[in-house]
Amino acid sequence: MRSWLRAHPTLRHIVGRAGWYVLTFFVAVAVNFVLPRLGDANPVDMLMARARTNLDSTTARQQEEAYLAEFGLVHVDDAGAVIRDAAGKPVPTSLPSQFLRYVSLSAQGDLGTSILQHPRRVSEIIGKALPWTLALQLPTIVVGWLVGNLLGALAAYYRGVFDRVLYPIALLTSAIPAFCLGIILVYVFGIQLEWFPAVGGYDDGMVPGLSWAFVRSASYYYVLPFVSILVIVVGHQAIGMRSMCIYELGTDYVKYAKLLGIHERKILLYMFRNAMLPQLTGLALALGGMVGGALITEMIFSYPGLGLAILTAIQGNDYPLISGCTLLVTVCVLIANFCVDVAVGLLDPRIRASHGAAQ
Amino acid sequence: MTAAQVNVTAPILEVEKLRVHYLTRFGTRVQAVDDVSFQLREGEILGIAGESGCGKTTLVSGCMGLFIPPLYHSSGDVRILGQSIVGMSREQIRRDVLGRQIAMIPQGALNSLNPTRRIKDLATDMIVSHDDRAGKREIYERLRERFERIGLDAKRVLNAFPVELPAGTKQRVVIGISTLLNPKLVVADEPTSALDVSTQKSVIRLLFDLMDRGIISSMLFITHELPLLRHVSSSIAVMYAGEFVEYGSTEQVIFDGQQPYTRALMGSMLSAEPGQRGKKPVAIEGAPPDLKNVIVGCRFAERCPSVRPDCSQKQQQLRTVQLRQVRCQYA
Amino acid sequence: MLKGLFRSPSFAIGCAMFFGTLLIALFGPLVLRVDVEHRVGLAYMQPSARHWLGTDHLGIDMVSLLIKGLRASLYVGFLAGSVATVLGTLIGLYGGYKGGFIDDVLTSVTNLFLVIPTLIVLILLSSSLEEGRSLTLIALLIGCTTWTWTARAVRAQSSSLRTRDHVALARINGFGTGHIVLFHILPYLLSYIFMVFILQTASGILTEASISLLGLGPYDSISLGKILNEAIRNEALGDGAWWAFVPATLLVTVIAFSLYIINTSMESVFNPRLRR
Repeated sequence: MRSWLRAHPTLRHIVGRAGWYVLTFFVAVAVNFVLPRLGDANPVDMLMARARTNLDSTTARQQEEAYLAEFGLVHVDDAGAVIRDAAGKPVPTSLPSQFLRYVSLSAQGDLGTSILQHPRRVSEIIGKALPWTLALQLPTIVVGWLVGNLLGALAAYYRGVFDRVLYPIALLTSAIPAFCLGIILVYVFGIQLEWFPAVGGYDDGMVPGLSWAFVRSASYYYVLPFVSILVIVVGHQAIGMRSMCIYELGTDYVKYAKLLGIHERKILLYMFRNAMLPQLTGLALALGGMVGGALITEMIFSYPGLGLAILTAIQGNDYPLISGCTLLVTVCVLIANFCVDVAVGLLDPRIRASHGAAQ
Repeated sequence: MTAAQVNVTAPILEVEKLRVHYLTRFGTRVQAVDDVSFQLREGEILGIAGESGCGKTTLVSGCMGLFIPPLYHSSGDVRILGQSIVGMSREQIRRDVLGRQIAMIPQGALNSLNPTRRIKDLATDMIVSHDDRAGKREIYERLRERFERIGLDAKRVLNAFPVELPAGTKQRVVIGISTLLNPKLVVADEPTSALDVSTQKSVIRLLFDLMDRGIISSMLFITHELPLLRHVSSSIAVMYAGEFVEYGSTEQVIFDGQQPYTRALMGSMLSAEPGQRGKKPVAIEGAPPDLKNVIVGCRFAERCPSVRPDCSQKQQQLRTVQLRQVRCQYA
Repeated sequence: MLKGLFRSPSFAIGCAMFFGTLLIALFGPLVLRVDVEHRVGLAYMQPSARHWLGTDHLGIDMVSLLIKGLRASLYVGFLAGSVATVLGTLIGLYGGYKGGFIDDVLTSVTNLFLVIPTLIVLILLSSSLEEGRSLTLIALLIGCTTWTWTARAVRAQSSSLRTRDHVALARINGFGTGHIVLFHILPYLLSYIFMVFILQTASGILTEASISLLGLGPYDSISLGKILNEAIRNEALGDGAWWAFVPATLLVTVIAFSLYIINTSMESVFNPRLRR
């Protein structure tokens, strides 16, 4: 195995990166586990507080033990019954064993039960919210990236009036914080002008489904959040691409290509390809961060995506839900970063060369 | 250029009273090349020597027809094989002149290869930009043959990325690509400055070889190095502040410079040549004049060791002194 | 070079905007009566001559809230920015200069922090802290989680400076690592680090605003983000009480925007490759 790895430096690079990412993943899981439990909030107490109103003491105790078992805070035998000590009290589990339980359950996709929306399971809540977030993020990121990069490249190459107009506008839109633009759009178009609805994902009373009426209603609510994110992505990409292209246009190899009499359109292609690589990296990372990227915007528009789920979870101290969402976001980011690392290592000849050199 | 327009008996390059200026960001006009004339015939190698900023690179850009803003053509003519190129459109220059009639081996050739393009793809781009009828296979064969001829392992080099090649090989590759279409004139701008001595020698040998084989016919050679100047050029032009101050054969200019600047310049370049040994390099005090201003009289007057009172008053013209051209009234 | 900076219109605009808000923050309380304790009217009263921007959901004067919030947000931004800059610079300088194993370790740590989304970490940390959240603590948290970008950037600069002659000379003369890093490398990076500091401050302000917007802001102080959070929670948006959120939004936008513009204009002056 080792000699085989030695013979394929690129593979070694990939395996090395994978190993590092697995390590990081464990750290991330640990962080996701430990941090919410640093506070005083105890899910069982919170649930009991809600339920206590009309239960007698025996039933209350049974309910409490049921909750404790559900959240893995006490030991249970294979049949699911609570294990008791000599005094008849339930045996609490240690933190390390809770952690192991958390890891194994999460790996199976079981992220626990929400406190606020008990007994709904976290994975179910996330499952309902995630498609909304993806529907908002995916098109804005992809379209924004394409349009922004194109505008940036054109501005860098053709200069003149186009550049002088584009640059300040792009600068403006890329420097505005996303949520600020969101708030302004909500206020101006949603409330004052009432062109678009200000809050929600779809009309009240409608049931989410693939009916034409629903899709039409949802699209109407979609416009403002979509635009608020799109504008910023376009501006940001345009500025970045423009800088990259200006740099590429000043390089020695572009000068030489011109001296050789190579077609202008071929030179444009060179510029594009070389400026693209870091932009592709940016795209992959943005897609990876897609799940958690629009939290604030969703919150402002009360858009029923992951952002809103996290917000309500935070407000209600629903830490299984918080944990579940943050874990999902982290995993996506890690996967995206890993793919980018591998892809760049494969695509960029400069980095490929350094694999061999490192031997 | 069509066959009918090409005049085979004319000199390959004819520069007549060329003046080139550029406009700075604030609109100031800087006359970088002022009234330069010379001819280059088949088999000749003209070495151009001078301080940084004297206009050498601007001059050769002008010779190639590269009047791209902020560089502008003020007046004068540049003719290649009898045909003037100053009036040509940019597309014409790209298609017919660059790479085809004249090729440049740029300064900093080592960074001139697109790092994300294989050598063969870059070379193919060049060929296809001038002649889009050739098929891919033909082109590859041509490339392989040419690269073998210049002493490179064609298969390995053509399929490589620039980052995988050592410096000496990259220099050869640049020369190889530049001369693919057998240009009549090659402009070499400091082609050996980033190389070690033995690689320098092999690069020069390569250039000579290409000339012997008729792949290239003449050269404009810019360099700071005296030994190179001596061994390579058949004639030398010394440039200062945008003008030629001396123009003659190699032996004359190096060993018997008549213009004070020429003598100072040759004296300031280190050399292990016989006849030069024992002479200590002497730096030239001061700095060249700012070309933003119109200069009256001799441009070297401020720094000239043999300056006389009326040097700064009269415009200096080129005169013929002892079979060469000198821009000094007291030579 | 500095002259070019002062001639740049974006630099001028950015500075004007930023120092404008700074002036309001610093001198506001001296000029106007700032009172966030007492109710001066009904909830969400319209702007009037006495209360230029009306009141919030508790009936407290909006202008006072904004000024206090502005001060808090700027404070957090500066503190977080400083912490992040110092932390990132030290790590980047040290790793970049030393190279080798130490550099690998520091880079791995940096990448670790880089890859785990900071907003997530801050959400988790803040939600578990509840009542302990003060402005200072939040600023420190933000500073300790956002230094990674700075570390990376400074490291790249530091490792390229490492090969310069004067550094080798200092090493030969027996100067220790600390001395070399501080006196032979750092001085060359000052303009760069200053630009980094500006970006980190802007990022700090925005991060705090985001955190507060989510409801995880300072427990017993007011910041611009918290103003927005309260506006959203109390349905100011729906009620049309624009004074409860538009001014705060504008202030955050202006601060972030002005800092970014200042940074961009400095970049195009100090980084000549981007100049045309």
